[in-house]
Amino acid sequence: MTAAMAPTLTHTAVKPFYFNTSAHLMRITRQKATTLGEFLQALQECPENSIFQHTFRTLQEHHFIREGFSNDFAHWVLSACNEPGLAEALASVDVREFTSVADLRARFVEIVGNFLAPSPATAARGARETFYFCASDIVVIPTNFVAHSLREFAEGLRGVSVHSLHHHFIEARLRLKLMSNDFSQWLLEDLGLPDAARHLNRIDIYTATMENVRQQIIGIVERALV
Amino acid sequence: MEPMDTQIGEMTSQDTQQESVSTPVATPTGRPERRKKPRIRETPPAPVPPPHLDEYKSIVGQPYIDELRYLADALKGKRVKMVNSTAVGGGVAEMLNQMVPLLNEVEVKTGWDVITGGNDFFEVTKAFHNALQGSDYKLSQQARDIFMMHNNLNRQRMEFNEDFIVIHDPQPAALIQSRQQPGQHWVWRCHIDLSNPNPEVWGFLQPFIEQYDAAIFSSQSFTRQLRIPQYLFYPCIDPLSEKNKELDDSFVQKVCDEFGVDRSRPIVTQVSRFDRAKDPVGVIQAFKQARKYVDCQLVMAGGGASDDPEGAAVLKEVNAAADDDPDIIILDLPPWCALEINALQRASTLVVQKSIREGFGLTVTEALWKGKPTIAGAVGGIPNQIIHKLTGVLVHSVDGCAYQIRYLLTHPEFAQRLGHNGREHVKENFLMTTNVRRWLLLFRILLGAQTS
Repeated sequence: MTAAMAPTLTHTAVKPFYFNTSAHLMRITRQKATTLGEFLQALQECPENSIFQHTFRTLQEHHFIREGFSNDFAHWVLSACNEPGLAEALASVDVREFTSVADLRARFVEIVGNFLAPSPATAARGARETFYFCASDIVVIPTNFVAHSLREFAEGLRGVSVHSLHHHFIEARLRLKLMSNDFSQWLLEDLGLPDAARHLNRIDIYTATMENVRQQIIGIVERALV
Repeated sequence: MEPMDTQIGEMTSQDTQQESVSTPVATPTGRPERRKKPRIRETPPAPVPPPHLDEYKSIVGQPYIDELRYLADALKGKRVKMVNSTAVGGGVAEMLNQMVPLLNEVEVKTGWDVITGGNDFFEVTKAFHNALQGSDYKLSQQARDIFMMHNNLNRQRMEFNEDFIVIHDPQPAALIQSRQQPGQHWVWRCHIDLSNPNPEVWGFLQPFIEQYDAAIFSSQSFTRQLRIPQYLFYPCIDPLSEKNKELDDSFVQKVCDEFGVDRSRPIVTQVSRFDRAKDPVGVIQAFKQARKYVDCQLVMAGGGASDDPEGAAVLKEVNAAADDDPDIIILDLPPWCALEINALQRASTLVVQKSIREGFGLTVTEALWKGKPTIAGAVGGIPNQIIHKLTGVLVHSVDGCAYQIRYLLTHPEFAQRLGHNGREHVKENFLMTTNVRRWLLLFRILLGAQTS
């Protein structure tokens, strides 16, 4: 019998799930922007881990905000450039729709480029504050949690930090190059739980805090345990 | 009102658990009577030993402590030397006093050396310090010679055999010339704002700085264009220190009673030195505007008036602006009144930091950590801490400050949400444990750890 045929709470997964987490150190890059024109240019030239820092990583840093913090680009365009339309367009970029940072960068460049094209004067107007492009240097860290079964998986989900959840649930798609996450992949491939895997992947990370996301994941896993 | 049995400044953390609640003495107008001279300790208390790493578990969680220990494992046996210019006083020494024991506790052997120098050296470095932050200064050959002579004397006196040498601030920057051992890593930690430096002084120091392997700044906006990697380490607070630890409410009440602060009415507080950069007169003006519409008191708690002529002049201006208003409580406190400041912040309904120039603004960090809705000037490192309308509110004028005081006092749910978010933001970015992690990460990255 394979795990995919009849999973239960006591069944052993094909492969255990090792909970990891990641620690980030912020590096200040050479790019900065004092106008939207400079911002567009820096978006095109900055290193990929700078795009990562201001999207994936900032989402992790602000995991506790319920009010819809999306990415640093949108926040700066609103607060320093007073361009709510552009800010809204940038904020609506959902990192989960991207499996590569290059594609994510291209989307931001497209949005800002389209906004500035009809009104070049806007590109030169000074922002209230400078935008400094930063980048993340990341070290992956194992945790003490390993799951061989669905029950142990639920225990791990309760015990790890929100950063571990972010590592597996949000950043994972850049490693997997899939529109999925480590949890869903494990539930699907190693425990044969396609419904739970799909439900997990539908959790909205932008309208909930990371603690709330944790509770939603645990809820789905507990329902699968029954 | 009868004097209390215990001086406020003599209370220890144990006392705070045992104190009974004091009731404010009501005057015929219903307001508690303000003491003319609250009794506070006249000398600093004995230093408190730094906490152990496990004591932070209840704040940051076991997984976080496990992560720190894992990061440190790969650095076991490595040695670090921190070098700065003073062992006592100032934020850098305070931070090193807490950081060095924690790094040693995770078995990253860390020592701390202080450079020596005569009055001539420290006069030059004080001038450099001000010039690097934008003051006018003419760099003379004599100043260069004094700087180099004392750096060279310290190079002869000190040994640099460690794996990591961390030099704090410009004073010892030229020690980098002692770099010899291959595989050794030198890091320059700059605690000041270099965004607008005197070009002569920066031009003199930059060649030294670019010999380091990395530089660390406290805010993105404090940096220069350099040929070496630059990292961002925010300044941090210790959640277990006298200034920030949890307090028993009876102690908070006792401090308020002593200082004549009425906890039954909204309390707006600014904690800062009496310094024009903190715009204390602007705070009073904003408070007076706001009070036309909402009942509140203002507490201005600070220091620096007794040992600084400018501070005394500013305090005079503040008193004149307050004009004996019974709802404005001005407290000139010595620097060792950390517990009292903590209590006043915890008693506050709102905290204001209406600075017009600022370093990083750790008083903002302290207020956010206590979950207080905070209104602050959008200067220096404050925008790193306050994300407008998410972790606090940023203001640019007296009128803006007055409006936000009114708004937050009349919208307590929004204010509470800001306070909650602010505390989480500090937990994520500005605690001592976060900085331990940053140092461990940096050392691993310099050693070439696998990063992505």
